[in-house]
Amino acid sequence: MLSVVLIIIAAIFFTGIIIRTKSLASGRKGPGILQPVHDVIRLFRKGVVYSETTSFIFQLAPSVYFASIIMAMLVVPFGRSGGVLGFNGDFIFFAYVLALGKFFSIIAAMDTGSSFEGMGASREALYSMFAEPAFFILMGSLALLSGHTSFQEIFAALHIGSQISYALAALATFVLLMISMIENSRMPVDDPKTHLELTMIHEVMILDNSGFDLGLILTGGYLKFAIYGALIVNLFIGVIPYEYAIPAFFGIQFLMAVTIGLIESFMARFRMSHNPQFIVALTSVSLLIFFGVLLILQKFM
Amino acid sequence: MIGIYLLGSFAIALSLFFSRNKLLVYTLLGLSLLVQALFTIYAGFHAGEIELIYFTYDSLGMILLVTLSIIAIPAAIHSYIYIENHKENPQARAIYLSSLVLLITAISAGYLSNHIAVTWIFTEITTLSASALIYHHRNKLALEGTWKYVFICAISITFIFIGILFLSLSLQHTGSDDLSFKNLLARSNELNPVWLRMAFLFIFTGFTAKLGLVPMFTAGIDAKDTAPAPAGALLASVLMNLGFVGIFRFYIVVANTPLLHWAQLVVGSAAFLSLFVATVYMLKVKNIKRMFAYSGIEHMGIVMLGVAAGGIGYYAAVLHVVLHAFVKSSLFFQFNQLYRVFQNKSIYHIGNYFKYNATGAMVLLLGFISTTAMPPSGLFVSEFLIFKSIFDTGHILLLVVVLLLLTMIIWSFGKNIFKILFIPVPDFDEQNIEIIKPWESVSQFLLLATAVYLGLNPPPFFVQLLNDSVSLLPG
Amino acid sequence: MIHVLLIIFLITLFYMAIANRLMTYIKVLALQGVLLFFVVFIQLNEINTLNLILILLETIVFKSLAVPLFLGYLLKRNNITREAEPFLPNFVSLVITTCIVVITILISNTIIDDHLDKIFFVVALSTLFFGLYLIATRRKIITHVMGYMVIENGVFVLSLAIGNEMPMLVNLGIMLDIFASVLILGIFLNKIGDVFKDVDVDQLSNLKDY
Repeated sequence: MLSVVLIIIAAIFFTGIIIRTKSLASGRKGPGILQPVHDVIRLFRKGVVYSETTSFIFQLAPSVYFASIIMAMLVVPFGRSGGVLGFNGDFIFFAYVLALGKFFSIIAAMDTGSSFEGMGASREALYSMFAEPAFFILMGSLALLSGHTSFQEIFAALHIGSQISYALAALATFVLLMISMIENSRMPVDDPKTHLELTMIHEVMILDNSGFDLGLILTGGYLKFAIYGALIVNLFIGVIPYEYAIPAFFGIQFLMAVTIGLIESFMARFRMSHNPQFIVALTSVSLLIFFGVLLILQKFM
Repeated sequence: MIGIYLLGSFAIALSLFFSRNKLLVYTLLGLSLLVQALFTIYAGFHAGEIELIYFTYDSLGMILLVTLSIIAIPAAIHSYIYIENHKENPQARAIYLSSLVLLITAISAGYLSNHIAVTWIFTEITTLSASALIYHHRNKLALEGTWKYVFICAISITFIFIGILFLSLSLQHTGSDDLSFKNLLARSNELNPVWLRMAFLFIFTGFTAKLGLVPMFTAGIDAKDTAPAPAGALLASVLMNLGFVGIFRFYIVVANTPLLHWAQLVVGSAAFLSLFVATVYMLKVKNIKRMFAYSGIEHMGIVMLGVAAGGIGYYAAVLHVVLHAFVKSSLFFQFNQLYRVFQNKSIYHIGNYFKYNATGAMVLLLGFISTTAMPPSGLFVSEFLIFKSIFDTGHILLLVVVLLLLTMIIWSFGKNIFKILFIPVPDFDEQNIEIIKPWESVSQFLLLATAVYLGLNPPPFFVQLLNDSVSLLPG
Repeated sequence: MIHVLLIIFLITLFYMAIANRLMTYIKVLALQGVLLFFVVFIQLNEINTLNLILILLETIVFKSLAVPLFLGYLLKRNNITREAEPFLPNFVSLVITTCIVVITILISNTIIDDHLDKIFFVVALSTLFFGLYLIATRRKIITHVMGYMVIENGVFVLSLAIGNEMPMLVNLGIMLDIFASVLILGIFLNKIGDVFKDVDVDQLSNLKDY
């Protein structure tokens, strides 16, 4: 239960911090930290306009998307306390429930019949597809290393001791961070600020959503960030007591938000054709993590 | 003695490199031939002795060393003719002759070395000196040929080194780290088979660049095409033998392990593929020099088939290598005269050679008969013995296919050669053609005659040496 | 620690597979030299001056400084455009490189040998094959030289894998061999740059059978 509360608190501030960092980096004062939350609340108060060409799928999709993220949030543990749900193999559930939400947002985008949205949907599907093996190889390696198959047990049993495990932890952090960037359609792969439909990926998919639906999707996005942040936090905190773990949680989330803000300020988005190779590179790196795990376990000597 | 020889030859090569005076240059060249001859004679009287730890005057090395020393003399003469004919500037002349001496020295040392790493080092030196020879003309084609040759050889050399690393890994299981062939042979039964396989694959692949077998044969073809003909003669004969020595010595080690059958399969399939590839190229090749080079691939394919077949095939393989060196070098020497008459390499612009240079045409005719192993030729004997060894192993189908391929090669070789000899080229300008003096062809006749003599009536000591060189092989 | 360095070494291969610019290749080569230095340095049982100097010479001075500078000089002198121009898209290169690494891991898993450090073996073999792949799939001639250097790095790791103290003389020989090869290849590359307009492999197709 603790994890859900913490994730929600983190989600409230996360996007605000990113936007603030970007403003400061570009020399502006920028909006308040809570501005994204205000935006969402404003959207929730509005009604919804549906295009006449769309079907019930388009109306259903935002709710499914939001619900899938809530479901995923429930299995994420926090240190010693497990998630609300938590069972063997829950990391597979985590990945596929998010994929279900993504699937619905993709078919909703197709449903509108707009060529732009179809293009964005196809890109989103492609990139998620490439990112999936990286996530599973990474989690599989960690499962192999710890000998358990649920998030909470895996993270609780991780012992970072030898030099090689430090290296693996660094690599795992990098891969998880990059996967979260891809899943949230952020910088090196997608640029949320872009104004040209041709270069958008995620933004173009939700062009037709408005009012309450848009609010759901945006809230889902904020939550997703905090969920991945929580996963990365879990890599480090292990089973240390709450009085250290909770500040560490917020510290790492804050650091992550600032890092994303800085990356987005100082880096340009990759060329569209370079994205797949970048994402597959993550898979290659997670294969190396797997290889390293085999080395640690002395299975490969 | 070999130390003195190496130092002396390197010193001669070095001073040749800096000499610009014509008389001095040719004196030095003669001196190097003298050193080579003296060294060969000395080696002949000290058979079986080990010098400087890494060199042994064993039978295989001796046979090939004598072959080299014999071929080196006409190579020097023809280089002289070539240089004077082209009126090369002193610098080009110095570089050419210096590399020639270096190449001959490195090949000699490579033949005699009894340690695989030393063979490796001298093979590397031959690459460097050969590349200088190939680049002699300093034009686009020479540049392209040299680049390909150097690059492929650099990769091959690396492969051989990887093979040596695997070999030392294989040897570690016996608690020894001496990579001399003798020690390897003594411990052949204790070598780790997995690493030995890897070692054999890499070393074999590496040496094929020199030997001219599939997979690395391409570089050698371009090299022989672009190098001046006298240097090409060395590349196409004695340098190929260096590749043969490298593979053969290691093959002796592998043959004494349980991997014999596997090694036969590897060598045999590479040899058959080479034969096949050579046939395909021979059928369409229009460049005479490249045709000779492809014929070399074919012969090395036959040689390695003999090695793979075993039995009498070992003996025949070494014999074939020696005879092929004599025949192929004489063809390359003759090519230079052909080129001086027609100023062209393409079959379309060469013809009716008998009319312009009857002596040279005779060499070409006899060379053709020798190369295609028709009866009076010595190669007939060795090739026949190799076929017999394949027959003995029971691979009749393989033999039939090989003979078919050879028939095609003979057909296309003969078609081209007879076109050169008898069929006039349409509008060929006969006014300015160069008259070739008959004496220039004498050395080629002698080489061809040597091949016939050694093949049909081998002197007893030669047979003895051949038998000695294959005596370590099983069966 | 060695394992960490070797894993980083493998990551440099992936990076090389998707790199677009020739300068990146050169920098990666230099980085590999530094990594190799640390690997050897940690592996040294006893530090003796001669050994240390030799290793420093071979890795830092030679692999990380001399060759990259020389390659950079070649780039500049021949006005070679900065793109690597592979025949295959980088995406395919990356997938193939990953396959190479996975296959070498599988191969080495089947081998049981106490005399061999497996992770060295995996890194060596994948570097070797990646070098060959690099040579086969890039259009510019200078990338061939770079591929050759990658192969040489693989051989270096392989000689560490075998662990057998190679005689100093052989080690020195290898160093000179690489040096000579790169120098000669570079010189001929310069000549090619002077003679031909473009330094592409397509230019080298004048030698024909007819």
